[in-house]
Amino acid sequence: MIIEAETLTYSYDEHLAVDHISFSVDKGEILGFLGPNGAGKTTTTKMLTGQLIPQEGWAKILGIDISSDPKKVHERIGVCFEEKNLYPRLTVRENLKFFADLFGINPDLDELLKRVDLTKWADDRAETLSKGLQQRVMFARSLINDPDILFLDEPTSGLDPISADAIRQIIVTEKRKGKTIFLTTHNMMEADKLSDRVAFINEGKIVALDTPENLKLKLGKRALKVRMRTQTGFEEETLPLDDPKTPERTKDLLKTKEVATIHTQEATLEEVFIQLTGRKLEQ
Amino acid sequence: MNPQCVKAIAKKDTIAAMRNSLVLMGLISGILFAGVYYVLPASVEETFDLAVYGESQFFSQFGEEEGIAFHPFGSPGDVEKAVDEGDYVAGLVLPENFDSLLMSGKKPEITLYFDSEQPENVRTSITYFMELAVESAALQTPLPQMEGEILGEDMAGEQIPLREQSIPLYLVMALVMEMWTISTLIVEESAAGTLRAVLVTPASPSDVILSKGIVGIGYSLLVAVAIIILTQTFRGDLPVLFLGVLLGAILSVTLGLFLGSLTENIIGSYIYVGVPLLVLILPGLVILLPGVSLSVMKVIPTYYLVDAVNQILNHGAGLSDVWKEFAVVGVFDVIFFFLGVTALRRRYS
Ligand SMILES: Nc1ncnc2c1ncn2[C@@H]1O[C@H](COP(=O)(O)OP(=O)(O)OP(=O)(O)O)[C@@H](O)[C@H]1O
Ligand SMILES: [Mg+2]
Repeated sequence: MIIEAETLTYSYDEHLAVDHISFSVDKGEILGFLGPNGAGKTTTTKMLTGQLIPQEGWAKILGIDISSDPKKVHERIGVCFEEKNLYPRLTVRENLKFFADLFGINPDLDELLKRVDLTKWADDRAETLSKGLQQRVMFARSLINDPDILFLDEPTSGLDPISADAIRQIIVTEKRKGKTIFLTTHNMMEADKLSDRVAFINEGKIVALDTPENLKLKLGKRALKVRMRTQTGFEEETLPLDDPKTPERTKDLLKTKEVATIHTQEATLEEVFIQLTGRKLEQ
Repeated sequence: MNPQCVKAIAKKDTIAAMRNSLVLMGLISGILFAGVYYVLPASVEETFDLAVYGESQFFSQFGEEEGIAFHPFGSPGDVEKAVDEGDYVAGLVLPENFDSLLMSGKKPEITLYFDSEQPENVRTSITYFMELAVESAALQTPLPQMEGEILGEDMAGEQIPLREQSIPLYLVMALVMEMWTISTLIVEESAAGTLRAVLVTPASPSDVILSKGIVGIGYSLLVAVAIIILTQTFRGDLPVLFLGVLLGAILSVTLGLFLGSLTENIIGSYIYVGVPLLVLILPGLVILLPGVSLSVMKVIPTYYLVDAVNQILNHGAGLSDVWKEFAVVGVFDVIFFFLGVTALRRRYS
């Protein structure tokens, strides 16, 4: 196991942010950590990367206890933070070069800049970049030491769909290279598309942990969505696929109504999440 | 400690400081202020000007060599007024028939007026000198010839031009400005959240502290050298002077580390740093004011620095004379270092 967490717990003063969570991540796996705002995703990431010391439980990264030997772990991980934290007065290239220097390495920065499509802005100061561009620099920075594990805290938030997809593409490429990825998000599409397994986190607890397919199979409902024309516009009816009455009802509708479209609707992680927690992912 | 990290952070901070106009201003203002040196008088007024009322042959025996010049006034009131206005060190009012009283072997009474701003020692020496002079005139004996020979360079307090006395002030100002540099570097690092990113690399909090300390001390030494060159202060025991500057640099850098970790707010840090900054400059200013007792300054750590630098530059002191002052600064260095490291660690780990 590349990441092992056992009963990790953290409270800010009285407020219990992460409540005895345990999980593990295998080599080459992407674990999606999915939950609404304030669920405890960032707090968990901070404990896994040695920024916070768990008040209970422990985490082993690459077999090393992160609280007792953080520097040994830091050599081999990359962290992409939720909040923008670049050196405003340094250029994009200088920001990256500085982190390369901290690791004592000399990577091909031009190549890295090209990968995240930042070549054009290489010599601009970070303070002059838009939020989305800054996010890309932060993502590039997490790759600088060619880490074995990537901890990505909402790496695509604030990005336009094209840039977000470009980042997702890089995440997949890294996974193919055998990298392990801990991906925090409240975007269920992203979690579904990228993750090998998804952990649902709510109010500091993991409420489910499985592959996206299993989660949807077990708890989601596939359905038929029938759209009909009426005098005033359109009408919609959703029929659960697993219901024995559905075939009859469909025939009925086709006969009696002017059906415009019918399509099957896949279960979504969103639905599964609502079922489990009674709460939406994005408020 | 990880040398490669210390080097990387120090390099980054050197660039970052140069691109921060506020920090740069602090650096340069320390040097620019040393320009005041050139507007201060380069030499000391070496004669005592005395305002006098009364007729006497008595004064003819004193020439300018004695360093006393007599200026006649029309009435005792004028003498009093002139002294009060601060134009003269002292005023003399001679009684009527001063000369004949002297001839007859009596000791006439002379009224002396002093400017309140004159230090105690000046008053005593003038009084004593007048007594001696009257005595010798009454006894019809010449004033004793006294050859004073000063061994080594003349470093007597009154002899040092204001200009030279002001150098410790520039040095202490420039060093203290480094508090600003350091705390700004630290506060910016936390305000921008970049420290978090640095701390998940091989760099540890001690690497961050050490490298910022090195940058601060480096800038301090640079500025100190600039001031010494600008004011052409190539005298005294230079290695000992530099030891003092180094101790002073550590003082302001460690205090800057401490103050910089009290807040994450850049504007707030100006207050946290600004007030101590002014206090630390005080001893440098006070040394320029004649007759003001420095003892109230003894609670301010830079007092010992200013005192030591002044002794080294203006009184030919060596390490054996100033080691006590250095030791006090050193103790403050250690205290502030631990305060700074503790505060930083509490904030960032
Ligand atoms: N520094 C802090 N001090 C006090 N409470 C905090 C602090 N950081 C987080 N919390 C609280 O802990 C809980 C978990 O926060 P956390 O940042 O881990 O959530 P998250 O899942 O990352 O949320 P988001 O999706 O908004 O990033 C929240 O209720 C939050 O208010
Ligand atoms: Mg978060």
